[in-house]
Amino acid sequence: MRETWVVGAASTRYGKLPDSGREAATRVALEALDISGVDPKRIGYTFVSNAFGVAERQAHVGPLINTALGIPDVPSATIESACSSSSAGLHEAFVHVAGGFADAVLVVGVEKLSHLDTLAATSYFAMGADYPFETRNGATFPGLYATLAHAHRQRYGTTAEELGAVAVKNHANGARNPHAHFQKEITLDTYLKSPVIASPLRLYDCCPFSDGAAALVVAAREVVGPRASEPLVIRASARSGSIADMQDRPDLTGLPATRAAATLAFRQAGIGPEKVDFAEVHDCFTIAEVMALEDLGFYPKGGAARAGAAGETAHDGQLPINPSGGLKAKGHPVSATGAGQVVEIFEQFNHFAGGRQVPRTEWALAHNVGATGGSCSVHVFSHR
Amino acid sequence: MGEPTAPPHTIEAFRHAYEEESRLLGFRSACGFVTATWLLVCPRCGARDLAETELGRSGRLVAFTVQTVPSDEFLNEAPYAYVVVDLEGGGRVTGWMAGIARESDLSVGEPVRFAPSYKPGVQFVRASDAGAA
Repeated sequence: MRETWVVGAASTRYGKLPDSGREAATRVALEALDISGVDPKRIGYTFVSNAFGVAERQAHVGPLINTALGIPDVPSATIESACSSSSAGLHEAFVHVAGGFADAVLVVGVEKLSHLDTLAATSYFAMGADYPFETRNGATFPGLYATLAHAHRQRYGTTAEELGAVAVKNHANGARNPHAHFQKEITLDTYLKSPVIASPLRLYDCCPFSDGAAALVVAAREVVGPRASEPLVIRASARSGSIADMQDRPDLTGLPATRAAATLAFRQAGIGPEKVDFAEVHDCFTIAEVMALEDLGFYPKGGAARAGAAGETAHDGQLPINPSGGLKAKGHPVSATGAGQVVEIFEQFNHFAGGRQVPRTEWALAHNVGATGGSCSVHVFSHR
Repeated sequence: MGEPTAPPHTIEAFRHAYEEESRLLGFRSACGFVTATWLLVCPRCGARDLAETELGRSGRLVAFTVQTVPSDEFLNEAPYAYVVVDLEGGGRVTGWMAGIARESDLSVGEPVRFAPSYKPGVQFVRASDAGAA
């Protein structure tokens, strides 16, 4: 296997895109190519994620992006894995480059839903669940994660204040991130006074619907020329699935796909969770961050919420989690989210992160979940 | 050649059973795995000879949420509870309960009963309410 690097990374601000998803995706792809120093003619494949492209009456967007980038003969494919789509694209890029099938690969994720009303956007999001067996019973995504939060609270006593601490921390991080959808701090009191959406989850437990685009250039070490930016060496690229429906899972206090992908990733990387300096984890809801930190092995089951409330996962804590603001505050443009997490790690490794720069950047981890854990990606990065 | 036979199991048959025949359908695998989800192969043991079975109508709440913001097909139902129920006789199923406005209206371990109506999905009521009806 060839050593494989992320050599370019770029993102729009998340929130509301003024132009189409296709235009935003092409612009960030060109920006990532420019940062990488890789000649676009060396791109051997483009993996595009745009799960809800049909909301813009557009499918098969890869050839349109490649044509607009001046590389129309490069093959492309659309990768869909719900909210983990573009991390699945990164995994495919890794497989292609590490396996020698391409020297360089472009990964693009994009979503635009802001032109839809909330009900329509909610309906698109719900398509990631099992329609006849979950959505048909009235479940929304907040409802599904709220059910997990209820089970977690029942077993471990997780409190509203502990979930609120996740929201407060991620909003504080988002306030320092010019890419973030929400660049505003909140207080625990604001959190506690926000309306309940699906008990025990409140409005401020939930990530927003965001537009956004993010792009990565993945290349083999030996084809990368002299360049200004510090690459991310991909030490692990792991994915796992699990039983999709909650009604067939014996345990509702975590996501088995996270545990499986993490086990594989740490084995590939040859390290344990204690080596990781900071991580971007999938916090579509505050409980999702809590479960992720436990399932990834950073904390024992039942331990993450208390550690977060004690400040351990803050920007200046011993294990900074979601310095970007996470899905909760940076935003969640579904198919761009996974690639966007890696953009944050790229900026942290290159000390481009300004006020949200974390102190230690030797090892970082990105964790991206599809729906309620039917699929999951875990990537581990280090310096050269 | 004769006419092709209909597949033995369909998702539509599951929906039709719980919404229009007042039955909860499931599969029972030789390894003991019981599921209310449509599938062709047992995820635990790999068996393909799954026996279609009618699941129990009574069970106990495992976890739940009270949704104040509904899905698009439940606009007139909010607030309502989305519930996970362990059924007597085996099998875990998700469903919903109408008229639940507060989390304190329900508790984990509470007995519930499958009580279909003209509304969609797998609908449960408290066992005590079912008894009173």
